[in-house]
Amino acid sequence: MSERTYLLPLWIRLWHWTNALLIIVLTVTGVSLHFADPKLPLVEFSLAARIHDIAGLALVAAYAFFALANIVTGNWWQYVPKPPGVIDRCLKQARWYVWGIFRGEPHPFPVTLQNNFNTLQSLIYWAIMYLAMPLLLLTGLIFLFPEFAPDRLFGMDGLLPVAVLHYLTGAAIVMFMIAHIYLGSTGNTVGAMYKTMITGWHEH
Amino acid sequence: MFHSFNKPLVAVLLGASLALLRLPAVAADAAPVDQATIEANRKANAACYECHSAAAVKKPPRADLDLSKLKESHIEPAIFNPSDHGVMDCRQCHAKNHYTEYPHAEAGKTTTSPCTECHAAKSLRLEPQFNASVHAKNSGLKEKFSCNTCHNVHVNVIQKRLKDPEKIVAQDNHGCLECHNSETMFARFAPDDEKLAGGKKKRPDIDTIHGWLPNAKAHWNAVRCIECHTPEVAEGKMLSHEILNKEKAEKKCLACHSANSSLKTRLYRHLVKGEQQKYGFTNSVILSNSYVIGATRHPLLDNLIIGLVLATLLGVLAHGVLRALAAMKRNKDQAK
Ligand code: HEC
Ligand code: HEC
Ligand code: HEC
Ligand code: HEC
Ligand code: HEC
Ligand code: HEC
Ligand code: HEC
Ligand code: HEM
Repeated sequence: MSERTYLLPLWIRLWHWTNALLIIVLTVTGVSLHFADPKLPLVEFSLAARIHDIAGLALVAAYAFFALANIVTGNWWQYVPKPPGVIDRCLKQARWYVWGIFRGEPHPFPVTLQNNFNTLQSLIYWAIMYLAMPLLLLTGLIFLFPEFAPDRLFGMDGLLPVAVLHYLTGAAIVMFMIAHIYLGSTGNTVGAMYKTMITGWHEH
Repeated sequence: MFHSFNKPLVAVLLGASLALLRLPAVAADAAPVDQATIEANRKANAACYECHSAAAVKKPPRADLDLSKLKESHIEPAIFNPSDHGVMDCRQCHAKNHYTEYPHAEAGKTTTSPCTECHAAKSLRLEPQFNASVHAKNSGLKEKFSCNTCHNVHVNVIQKRLKDPEKIVAQDNHGCLECHNSETMFARFAPDDEKLAGGKKKRPDIDTIHGWLPNAKAHWNAVRCIECHTPEVAEGKMLSHEILNKEKAEKKCLACHSANSSLKTRLYRHLVKGEQQKYGFTNSVILSNSYVIGATRHPLLDNLIIGLVLATLLGVLAHGVLRALAAMKRNKDQAK
């Protein structure tokens, strides 16, 4: 139990909590904008728009930092699922989540410095961080500078596809976030993984 | 101006009946004009276009024309004919018998028929609204303001006929911004500044005044000034001419940015009857021109997303409870 690995460098932890805070702020204000209604107790529209704009730009900056640091440190490699046996390992991991975890079985793929993520995790993180996020940021930026949106499309305003894509990718990230926060409790103890993201140390 | 408004009701009615006597085709409130009359009028107007058109400015029919002045009178058949008044003979508004020679007699240049002459009923309804508006109440403005200060009679087309919201916005905002975005025009109308001897009140910058409105420029292209600066009227009623001051103007975003958007009864009032929920969107007539956050939604997609988010929440909740129960059971078994 006393064996420790220094798993997460400071930059990842700082980025992670900034990212988390911004996404929560963007979710609350985004919902207030989209479902704007005098009868719903949401953040006031113009305040929501202002906060959303600022937090959105901050998230773009955070993502740029993340992408750059990933390249510089080589951390991006963690996100690449490594064949052979990708599907097998995913199934094994999924089986643990729906069955093994209830029987107290040990993690099928214990965390190591080389393999921080399990294969299922790296696949999903990859999709979120390198597909959904860039789409969300790009559509958010076009929303902010609508002169870059197409003028018209299928007889509708050209901002429509941008808005719908922003909404869908935003929703995907919110759903990911819910599952992500919960799965953070599936470490060796309920609080272990949250602690790792704060201190950087993983206890085996 | 507004001379006829300051007189009692009888004068207005008298003006209307006079108009009836003079121009049988025009009823108390300008009635539609038949095709034969339109063609006759267009033929008559050709005489004016001989000099009053871009082509004539380039190639004057006579050597003695004051071209510098002619250049400033922008009358073009391509613009005039489709306009609200394009069915008319120029001389119905411009003192009839003064154009047989050039230069025109003085009356021909300065006299135009007041709007009330042909729009008695509408003017009657507009009068109290105009009198309550900022341009009538602010000192010294009323005398300088007339209907054609905002209405370009040779060009404008009403909303109902113009149809395209983008064009409506451009036309109607141009009427306001002509002054509110121009120092020279504004100074011509602005009241004196009490603090500045001999000076005029300064024009407040439009973007600065509306600094609380994000993307103000995007709004200027998508909504009209009168959307926020006039009180809402019942469906089917003529838009109000009471321009509201800064205390009363609409500041609530949700007036437009919500499912029950007031844009339906304002800029898009002439289109809402054709609302067909295109591709499943509410307020899809607005969507044809503008994506308006909060107003142009897709209820089916919204319900799907809400459902998926709730399912995710319930899923992790159930997983957590089961995990806790299983752990408790394991602990009990171990203790045995
Ligand atoms: C022979 C050429 C000619 C014809 C035909 C003509 N105009 Fe003019 N008109 C001018 C010129 C040039 C001016 C500007 C110079 C001036 O004010 O003396 C002018 C000025 C005017 C003005 C005053 C503009 C101002 O800014 O003061 C009005 C109104 C007008 N015309 C209406 C008409 C109408 C209506 C007709 C047709 C029934 C017509 N004109 C036919 C040459 C013509
Ligand atoms: C519905 C009435 C109406 C009709 C029809 C009309 N005008 Fe005018 N016109 C006016 C008014 C009112 C003004 C004064 C505009 C102002 O003071 O800003 C005016 C101004 C003018 C001027 C002065 C320059 C300018 O642009 O302000 C000219 C020239 C002119 N009209 C020519 C014509 C010609 C030519 C026609 C026909 C093709 C015509 N008008 C039809 C009402 C009319
Ligand atoms: C000599 C008669 C006459 C005068 C003066 C006149 N108009 Fe008109 N106006 C008409 C006619 C005719 C129509 C067209 C009605 C139609 O096609 O249904 C019309 C249509 C309009 C419309 C379109 C909406 C509607 O009620 O059909 C507006 C707005 C308008 N006029 C404003 C003005 C303004 C502002 C003035 C004064 C600057 C003015 N008019 C002066 C005859 C006149
Ligand atoms: C402060 C600017 C302003 C002034 C002054 C003004 N109008 Fe208007 N008026 C507008 C605008 C903007 C519209 C909306 C036009 C549209 O239908 O898109 C309008 C619309 C109208 C309409 C069409 C309304 C409808 O829904 O059918 C009439 C008729 C009209 N005005 C007549 C007048 C008359 C007559 C006067 C003078 C008493 C006058 N206006 C003065 C700005 C003005
Ligand atoms: C011919 C020039 C002119 C036109 C056209 C015009 N305005 Fe104005 N407007 C003025 C002037 C001058 C003032 C007076 C400023 C003052 O008293 O400080 C004013 C004042 C105002 C005010 C401020 C009232 C206050 O709170 O003190 C509002 C709001 C306004 N206009 C809106 C509009 C709208 C909306 C339109 C178009 C439908 C319009 N104006 C068209 C010249 C114009
Ligand atoms: C979204 C609604 C909205 C629109 C659209 C809008 N305004 Fe305003 N406007 C307001 C409000 C609200 C105020 C009062 C602002 C304040 O209290 O600081 C105002 C203030 C003003 C003032 C008063 C300035 C003063 O200090 O007296 C003028 C003039 C004005 N607007 C002109 C315009 C013109 C011209 C347009 C069209 C280009 C326009 N507005 C479009 C809502 C709007
Ligand atoms: C008079 C109606 C109206 C009011 C009031 C109004 N808006 Fe808008 N707003 C619109 C329309 C229409 C659009 C679409 C603009 C376009 O097509 O580009 C829009 C667009 C926007 C956008 C998106 C701009 C973009 O395309 O990225 C934002 C953000 C916004 N409004 C915020 C606000 C806020 C905050 C308020 C209140 C302070 C407000 N609006 C009040 C009509 C309104
Ligand atoms: C998890 C992150 C995010 C979520 C959940 C989210 C969600 C939303 C939602 C639901 C809307 C309402 C649009 C509509 O009704 O169709 C919206 C609007 C908007 N979003 Fe986002 N968004 C996120 C991130 C971003 C980012 C990163 C940016 C900027 C780069 C951004 C920029 C905008 C802009 C400009 C608008 C228009 C309203 C405004 O100007 O505030 N968003 N967002």
